[in-house]
Amino acid sequence: MSALISVDGLVKEFRKVKPHEGRLGSLRTLFTRRYEVNRAVDGVSFAIDEGELVGYLGPNGAGKSTTIKMMTGIVMPTGGTVRISGLDPWRERPCNAAQMGVVFGQRTQLWWDLPLRESFRLVGAIYGVSPADYRESLERFVDLLDLGEFIDRPVRQLSLGQRMRGDIAAAMLHRPRVVYLDEPTIGLDVVAKDRMRTFVEETSRAGETTIVLTTHDLADVERLCPRVILIDHGRVLYDGDVQGLKATYATHRELVVHLAPDESTGRTPAVRAADVLGAEIVSQEQGVARIRFEASRIAVQHLIASVNQNYPVRDLSIVEPDLEGVVRRIYSEGLTP
Amino acid sequence: MNRPFKESLSLYWTLQKAALRAETGYRFNFVLLVVMGIVYQGSGIAFVWVILSQFDSIGSWTFSDVAFLYSLRLLAHAVWIVPFNQVYALDELVREGRFDVYLLRPLNPLLQVITGRVRMNILGDVITAVTMFGFAVTAADVDWTPAKALYLVLAVLGGAAAEGAVVLLVSALSFRFLHTWSAHFLVDNVFLLFGSYPLHIFGTATTWILTWTVPVAFVAYVPASVLLGRTGDLSVSPVLAWAAPAIGFLWMYAAYRIWVRQMRHYQSTGT
Ligand SMILES: Nc1ncnc2c1ncn2[C@@H]1O[C@H](COP(=O)(O)OP(=O)(O)OP(=O)(O)O)[C@@H](O)[C@H]1O
Ligand SMILES: [Mg+2]
Repeated sequence: MSALISVDGLVKEFRKVKPHEGRLGSLRTLFTRRYEVNRAVDGVSFAIDEGELVGYLGPNGAGKSTTIKMMTGIVMPTGGTVRISGLDPWRERPCNAAQMGVVFGQRTQLWWDLPLRESFRLVGAIYGVSPADYRESLERFVDLLDLGEFIDRPVRQLSLGQRMRGDIAAAMLHRPRVVYLDEPTIGLDVVAKDRMRTFVEETSRAGETTIVLTTHDLADVERLCPRVILIDHGRVLYDGDVQGLKATYATHRELVVHLAPDESTGRTPAVRAADVLGAEIVSQEQGVARIRFEASRIAVQHLIASVNQNYPVRDLSIVEPDLEGVVRRIYSEGLTP
Repeated sequence: MNRPFKESLSLYWTLQKAALRAETGYRFNFVLLVVMGIVYQGSGIAFVWVILSQFDSIGSWTFSDVAFLYSLRLLAHAVWIVPFNQVYALDELVREGRFDVYLLRPLNPLLQVITGRVRMNILGDVITAVTMFGFAVTAADVDWTPAKALYLVLAVLGGAAAEGAVVLLVSALSFRFLHTWSAHFLVDNVFLLFGSYPLHIFGTATTWILTWTVPVAFVAYVPASVLLGRTGDLSVSPVLAWAAPAIGFLWMYAAYRIWVRQMRHYQSTGT
């Protein structure tokens, strides 16, 4: 079976008029146009199977939203192809749109001046949802997303978190086959985030809905996404599971040593650089030493043995790098594996 | 998902009613806009009436003939502007990226644009157009036959389509240029200034341009000439004059196709 979503060599260039400088610059700009080309998406390829939940990650301006806009048929690609269950999102817009649901955290799709309930009704009409299905879905969403309290209020009066929940319900009302969530947890408090995550998890569980999620909150990713695609400057840096991402990019571990006070002197000794086999002592405070080492260069059992031999140790632990740290390093240093 | 026309029409009503409800939520604004619309259009008409009544004839057309032409154009304009007024707001929708939403749903984007909002001040256009046409049609020297009555209905629709086509074409520029206000202003004024009077008074060159490059003549001048039995003044043949509504519809069809084609230049926004 071929993939549900296949993106192949996708490119999007934005052209911007480059203003002339100096005297009469704006007048010259008006008549002779020079363009500056910005390649927001630069040859992205990936394939996503039916039922997958994929985190699409990357720093600000990486090209995530632009990719999603091409997958949803908002903008036309400059080059390459996108196929969603065989459909070209731009040319076969109505068919593709009928089977997808989209939430842009930054922008609402609800009718601003009407009660939330009205928006649901209109969405139901546009997608031709049968009355029975409509009632059932609505009931489920009101329950899962706790919409009851504000469903009869005009959208313009809703708080950000309430509006976002309304938006996600509206996007799912027709039971789309593919769902794109572009920063659905932006600006939500911890409780609202949790509710949103549970909802996404629930939706994904049955395996009938394919979900592509972008977010800057890595807790979303750790909790939800078995697979991540990481891009920067419009190119794919990594495509695989979260464990693999850590293994590829974060090759260092941290040994945390809790030292006991010396029996004779009563003082807590400090770990010396000579005893850590060339690893780096990151910090040493109140009897806790953090030693960072490259797992491929230094065998952890040797390191532990050396520390044990030279110091009175109360406790030892090895800290795996967390996703946050990994991603921070990739974003800031532009690392390649 | 290709919808049958009937279904699209019922969706159109559903969305239009929703937009109306949204607008009437601001009741004070609603009333004020209707009143303003009437006052604005009414004062425009009063002005024209005063000017027109100073002349016995313009380009051999009598006062009542010109009034008929003038109000026929107003009527065609109203028939276009009532359902399609939101087309003027397209550049704003594009600039702010709000057009995104219309591309996400399995429903014609233009239909979503025009049902996005109801503007109450256009009620003023309608009321004044209908009132003035009511007066003008009784005063005008037309030998009414069933064929002419049918032609009148088609001419109003065709005239609406002819003006609408040009406005739609201008709005399609939004996808590339983001600001179209000044182009709309120009087009509106061309239709208002040249479309409301017997076109031949502006000379042959102008008449030719406003017949063959921009369909100003087909909005009201040509149909009014047919109805008033003045096809002799026209530069187009009587057969073509009777076909004026069809020309309006052809323009609209072509404009719509171009509009859809221009949509590919939509770039959305950065956020
Ligand atoms: N409509 C547009 N016109 C011009 N340039 C654009 C447009 N949309 C995006 N860009 C540019 O394309 C690049 C990618 O933008 P995009 O919105 O896809 O990033 P992103 O990965 O979603 O970032 P963020 O995490 O900040 O949302 C940026 O450099 C942006 O300035
Ligand atoms: Mg984005």
